[in-house]
Amino acid sequence: MPVIEEGASRRRGARFRQGLLGLGVGLLGLFVADAVHLRNPPLAGESLGDVFVPDPAVAGLVSLGFGAVVSDFYWLQAIQAAGGDVRITPELGAHLGQLIDVVTTLNPWVDHPYRFAGIWLTQSEQNVRTANRLLRRGIEKHPDDWRNHYYLGFNHFFYLLENAEAAEVLEGASRLAGAPRYLPRLAARLKSESADLEVASVFLQELLRGAQGEAARESYRSALDEIEIEQRARQLDGARVRFRELEGRDIETVDELTRGATPLLGALPSPEPSSLPASLRRGSEWIVDPSDNRIVSTYYGKRYQLHVPASDRERAEGWAREKELREAAGR
Amino acid sequence: MTGSLHRIWPIATNTVREAVRHRLLYTLLFFAVTMIGFAVLIASLSYVEGERIIQDIGLASIRLFSVGIAIFVGIGLIHGEVDRRTIYTILAKPVTRAEFLLGKFFGLLLTVWLQLLLMGLAFVLVSLSVGAPLDWGYAAALFLVGIELMVIVAVATLFSSFSTPMLSAFFTLGIYALGHLSRNLYFLGQEAEVDSVRRAATLLYRVLPDLETFNVSIQAVHGLPIPASEVAWAVLYGLAYTTALLSLAIYIFHRRDLE
Amino acid sequence: MGLSSMTDRPREIVRVDGLVKNFRPGLGLRSKRVLHGVSFAVREGEIFGFVGPNGAGKTTTLKVLMGLIRPTSGRASILGCDVGEAGFRQHIGFLPENPYFYPFLTGREILRFYARLCGVESSLLAGRVNDLLALVRLEHASDERLSTYSKGMLQRIGIAQALIHDPEVAFLDEPMSGLDPIGRKDIRDIILRLKAAGKTVFMNTHILSDVEMICDRVAIIVKGRIRYEGPIREFLREDELRSDIVLARLSGETSRELGERFSTTIQTVGERVEVQVKDGQLQSFLEAALGAGADILSVTPNRVSLEHIFLEAVEEGEKADAGAGRGGGGTP
Repeated sequence: MPVIEEGASRRRGARFRQGLLGLGVGLLGLFVADAVHLRNPPLAGESLGDVFVPDPAVAGLVSLGFGAVVSDFYWLQAIQAAGGDVRITPELGAHLGQLIDVVTTLNPWVDHPYRFAGIWLTQSEQNVRTANRLLRRGIEKHPDDWRNHYYLGFNHFFYLLENAEAAEVLEGASRLAGAPRYLPRLAARLKSESADLEVASVFLQELLRGAQGEAARESYRSALDEIEIEQRARQLDGARVRFRELEGRDIETVDELTRGATPLLGALPSPEPSSLPASLRRGSEWIVDPSDNRIVSTYYGKRYQLHVPASDRERAEGWAREKELREAAGR
Repeated sequence: MTGSLHRIWPIATNTVREAVRHRLLYTLLFFAVTMIGFAVLIASLSYVEGERIIQDIGLASIRLFSVGIAIFVGIGLIHGEVDRRTIYTILAKPVTRAEFLLGKFFGLLLTVWLQLLLMGLAFVLVSLSVGAPLDWGYAAALFLVGIELMVIVAVATLFSSFSTPMLSAFFTLGIYALGHLSRNLYFLGQEAEVDSVRRAATLLYRVLPDLETFNVSIQAVHGLPIPASEVAWAVLYGLAYTTALLSLAIYIFHRRDLE
Repeated sequence: MGLSSMTDRPREIVRVDGLVKNFRPGLGLRSKRVLHGVSFAVREGEIFGFVGPNGAGKTTTLKVLMGLIRPTSGRASILGCDVGEAGFRQHIGFLPENPYFYPFLTGREILRFYARLCGVESSLLAGRVNDLLALVRLEHASDERLSTYSKGMLQRIGIAQALIHDPEVAFLDEPMSGLDPIGRKDIRDIILRLKAAGKTVFMNTHILSDVEMICDRVAIIVKGRIRYEGPIREFLREDELRSDIVLARLSGETSRELGERFSTTIQTVGERVEVQVKDGQLQSFLEAALGAGADILSVTPNRVSLEHIFLEAVEEGEKADAGAGRGGGGTP
């Protein structure tokens, strides 16, 4: 019997050593395979669909408390897929959206992946909507970080032509520590686009009252100044329209609005902000910009409006039309 | 009571001695430390949040390998003693079965805590070398991993007290997996339309350990607050659950024929 | 110890009454009865042999006594305590069959371990360990790991751990099986020394020569039933026990005469004369032979007769089993 016992324990030992050897060889194989794999990284376009992307809820269930590393794994996949000189097709964008969805479901406290979605998911309205959903998740988890708000607002404004939403998001962001000073102005500009300068002005004044520190106040003041000038410019626009009705021709110079048999205006409003100290005044004037035939103050040199590339603008308008059509069909 | 301690302690220290003279432990420890170091390489693939990824992988490795060690040493804990008949001479001494079982439990617990300490040290060294943040949150996370290990060791002890190593490994891994699922299953169950399903989900959640209670590694890595009260409740929960498991193990082990 | 008896009769150290043990080999399988109402008693100061063939239920009985398994029915007590309790274990030592110890410990470490379990005070511990190492003659290997020990060394370290706390009773399961003749003598000597020190020894064995040499009383168990309990001499029925004698320088006439007088057959092989006589007549035969001027070359107790008796008991047991229609059990 003892001989058998010793034999059994020796066999156990042998099995154990074999098991270890197997494990070691397996890991080594994995290591080598990975090294080879990483030396020749697949093209991102080709890698689309290479990795099984689980349903985020299921992934959360099966990661058994190891959500953070599984999240990291899919994050590295996302970086690989988007990296290099790869044109992001709408399909690849959607794939990235799935990856980031898993990444941020498994570990909602990640930081950069939310903005990664904001940067890369721009190829279709669907992708932008996905990006916005992810950004909102990021805002929920990092409510004090202005950057996710900023990207979300930008998406609403730039890709979806939803200025009201954009302004709303940016207003939220502008209150946060570390937010850039131009955010309130941007929000206000969005409001001006929706022709609600009055609201933007009130909003900025409110922010100005609550602002901490001179730098912040200064940024609110300058935004208010721009709105003041824009309001005056619109007043002049109105006068110009009536001038055309009365005279049957357009103005040559802005001065013409104060001249003639019945001057439309007693005097031109100041082309410079009223808060500007006398020492900084530099004799700006109202002119008709020859490039777009609009009335501008030489103080700013252009009207108060965000610059939007035509191609994107067209695309966005196209989506807006599609959306209207869909809604019409829905009704 | 002190008499019991005098008998439990030699069994426990002997169990530690057996484990530390076992090669498997060093192998797993080696892999764990390698993984923690390997994290630096993996993290370099990401252009942002590299330190966070290093720490994610580091803490996950610690949890994975320490649970691995707990299970693979724990499953044969009692069975090996019966199988090799070393238990005969011990129980012929004035040692009760409860004392023997507790001695084995504490011995294994000390072993896994010891290697948790070593892995934690490797984690700290790697974090320092890459300049990743370190604060008390990490200590709390590692401490709660230790409490989770206590529960896992108790689960392994329970199954080992009446089952073969193979089955024990299967059961203990199952409990480990379900323990990390139980909270989600509970929430899923509560959404069910049927009343009995909701009740079953609640019952299951009460019976199974909720191991996510001990998982604050994400909070640690992201610098989120880990309230002391939360840690204290987790410890209390772990202790209560462990006590329940060990009581059951002792009850079963007392009634068992040691053939 | 307030346990000593007030009567003249030696006190009973072990008492077993109607022990029954069923084993369930597996889920759903019919349970198997291994002990069929085993009863016997061990008295203070004796070496008690629990004898039977392999699979008779010796180890099962001993496991019940050690509290390792629970009897299906019946009672067993040691030093007046039920075996389910742990208190009396301070006073007993146990050597299992083919003992196996933590191979990663040294001889000294394992003895220290058991001594601490028995609550041996730390001031006495080192001395006690050294005493036991000396008793089993393992001082030279005391700091080597048990994984390097031979079978005989393990058996001796097993005895040492059983006696580490100086128990009143030692339970030894097959203490001499698998050992070489020198090893067996070593163990025999230790057992006899225990008896000399007033200890009681309970010994499981299937080796009859050991029983005959050292046991005071025996219980014979066959297929889970006790066939005999009493002094070894009575069991052996001394009139049937014989010795082989080899003589030289014995004339043919004298040998015939001796053969008639002791009613035995005398064989002459060349110069040598071989004769078998009953043990009761051994002394007078030898005196007569010496008186006739013969040389006595050897006197060997004849074991064949003992084996024969033993086999008879086993056969009886089988017949009884066939009658009862029950299968006996192997030791699990």
